Amino acid sequence: MDGLILGLDLCDGYTQMVCDQEERTWTLPTVVCKKKNEDQWLVGEAAFAAALTGDGVMVDKLVKLVMKDGTATIGGIKYGGMQLMAQFLLKVLALAREEYQTDRVKRLLISAPKVDARLLECLQRCADYLGIPKDKVSLISHTESFMYYVLSQKREVWNNQIGLFDLSADNLLCYYEMKVQRGMRQTTVVAEREQMEESFSLDIIKTPPGAKLADKILCSCAGRLLQKKTFSSVFLTGKGFEDLGWAEEFMKLVCARRRVYGESALFAKGAVYRAADLTREKTAYPYVCVCEGRLDSNVTMRVLHKDQENQLVLASAGETWHEAGKEVELILDHQDYLEFIITALDPKKKKTVKLVLEGFPKRDDKTLKVLLKVGFLDERTMTVAVKDQGFGDFFPSTGACVRQEVML
Amino acid sequence: MSVIVCRPEQVAHPYYVEGLGVNIHSSQEFCYAIYHHPMLFLDKFADQSVIDFIRDELGMGFLAARMEQRIKTKEKPEELMLMFMQECDYYTGAELNRFRQTVTSFRRMTPLEYAKAKTDYLVRFKQYGKAITGYEAILEEADDKKDDLFIGKVWNNLGACYARIFQFQKAMDAYEKAYTRKKDLKILEKMYHLTCLCPDLELKDRYRSLVSQQLKEQWDKDFDQAGEKAAGSEELKKLDELFQKDSIRRAEAAGNLVEEWKKEYRAMG
Repeated sequence: MDGLILGLDLCDGYTQMVCDQEERTWTLPTVVCKKKNEDQWLVGEAAFAAALTGDGVMVDKLVKLVMKDGTATIGGIKYGGMQLMAQFLLKVLALAREEYQTDRVKRLLISAPKVDARLLECLQRCADYLGIPKDKVSLISHTESFMYYVLSQKREVWNNQIGLFDLSADNLLCYYEMKVQRGMRQTTVVAEREQMEESFSLDIIKTPPGAKLADKILCSCAGRLLQKKTFSSVFLTGKGFEDLGWAEEFMKLVCARRRVYGESALFAKGAVYRAADLTREKTAYPYVCVCEGRLDSNVTMRVLHKDQENQLVLASAGETWHEAGKEVELILDHQDYLEFIITALDPKKKKTVKLVLEGFPKRDDKTLKVLLKVGFLDERTMTVAVKDQGFGDFFPSTGACVRQEVML
Repeated sequence: MSVIVCRPEQVAHPYYVEGLGVNIHSSQEFCYAIYHHPMLFLDKFADQSVIDFIRDELGMGFLAARMEQRIKTKEKPEELMLMFMQECDYYTGAELNRFRQTVTSFRRMTPLEYAKAKTDYLVRFKQYGKAITGYEAILEEADDKKDDLFIGKVWNNLGACYARIFQFQKAMDAYEKAYTRKKDLKILEKMYHLTCLCPDLELKDRYRSLVSQQLKEQWDKDFDQAGEKAAGSEELKKLDELFQKDSIRRAEAAGNLVEEWKKEYRAMG
């Protein structure tokens, strides 16, 4: 084995890990515990046990802790969210490392409900501690995991629309929908996530009246979401769907004229399929994938090349927002602005955004050279920075620069 | 109105253009220098140093190889310049056509006219020492030519160069020769102004008789106006500002300014 390929579903309630080599799934609560008077860390059920017996101090909701840049004090020592996350991940990875007798991790792809910049930064900073090269650790959204999971199934499963209900241990009910748009220049797969307002605590399904109420809530959601649409399949995932006995009416409704599949580790598996794909030279998913965490528009600019007007692509639909962006030097000829063309998947929704270079020097004869940096704060917000580069010894830089956020 | 994408280039060792006194750090700057100052490159573009810069610093190995091939077949430097500029995609086809016309007009000149145009370029960049050598070589070459107007212009320019480096007597001698050839009142005016700048100099009788009282008054007025204009120049204002700074910043700025002047003075040689 030349290294582990791992997919990890990281949530505040539970974490699931799947290894590419074998269909083995590890599921454990996302908690970390430090034993009293010892430099020993425990995770999952062992952490709960140590905390219950008073042998250690436990910290939960690690994802939230990282995202809000929080800290926790254990035994008089203050630990940052990143330190605790690193301890947790190290222990989780140790499970796979022990099982397959190898320390080398070829690729680790983590799936979280949302691609948050702070979480991403934390995970990449944890990479060193975990003994994995930084560029081999990445983060995708649950929506993207769902997409790769479905695309890895037989084609008949994803002919039309595909739905997914996720009833997680975090007491959240989410609905995901994916559709494949063929007939475009490149087949495009679009997936969306909707968090239901009608969520409920999983504890209520333990009692018959509570279960009935939960079933009713689910039925109402499903009725609204699935009506008048043709689905190739519907998936169910999350702790709430591990046992379906309580949701009879919901199951009747969902299974009517549809194929329904249950998959408890859907997001972790989706992540591992994508992780394996990233290690291949040629992707097995030659589609434009548009979902949470990825851009849904192309950003281009008109440029002159060999006397002809061309489009300079600054970002493409389907690119991961935190990896998308470009840095390019431009010469502006008799022009004191830059114009960005933002084209959504629906070409009718095309718009142009003009960025006037206020405070920039007026130079003629093609000597206004600027550095354009395009990046993204999330999938909807593009950041643009333009700086006067000067023109060598002929015209030194004035240091003029402009920055702007552009909503896609 | 257009936007051009710059080639990504990592120039560690810039190319120094002596005539301009600038280092070239990119293909765009190189194109700009060639386009605006073709005279500085016309005889040099087939140099190995240029080819090395294009290959090693601009990362255009294939183009450099093609240029080397053309050099072997005695291709004209202007064709090599155009080849380079086309590849860089900095100027449009229309701009390159204009450039071609400019260069062709240079090539249509006689050898002496071409040598003068090249030397005039050196004057534009304050390289008076080199320009003086250039003009003297032209005058030596043109000794037996009867083209008074052309030779008069060369003497006039030579006089201007000497005046710029404060060699007023030599400037006066050159202007006298220019006047003998061109009989231009403007040359006489310059000679008169030289006497204003350097009181040791005097207009010879044969020239003095040509200057009417009215002309003299007008030239005096012009001289005074030029003096006033110089007194209010940006450079002097900057110098005044410099002296108003605190002693530490003044010393630093003065050091930089003197360094600049030294550089400029050395380049004149």
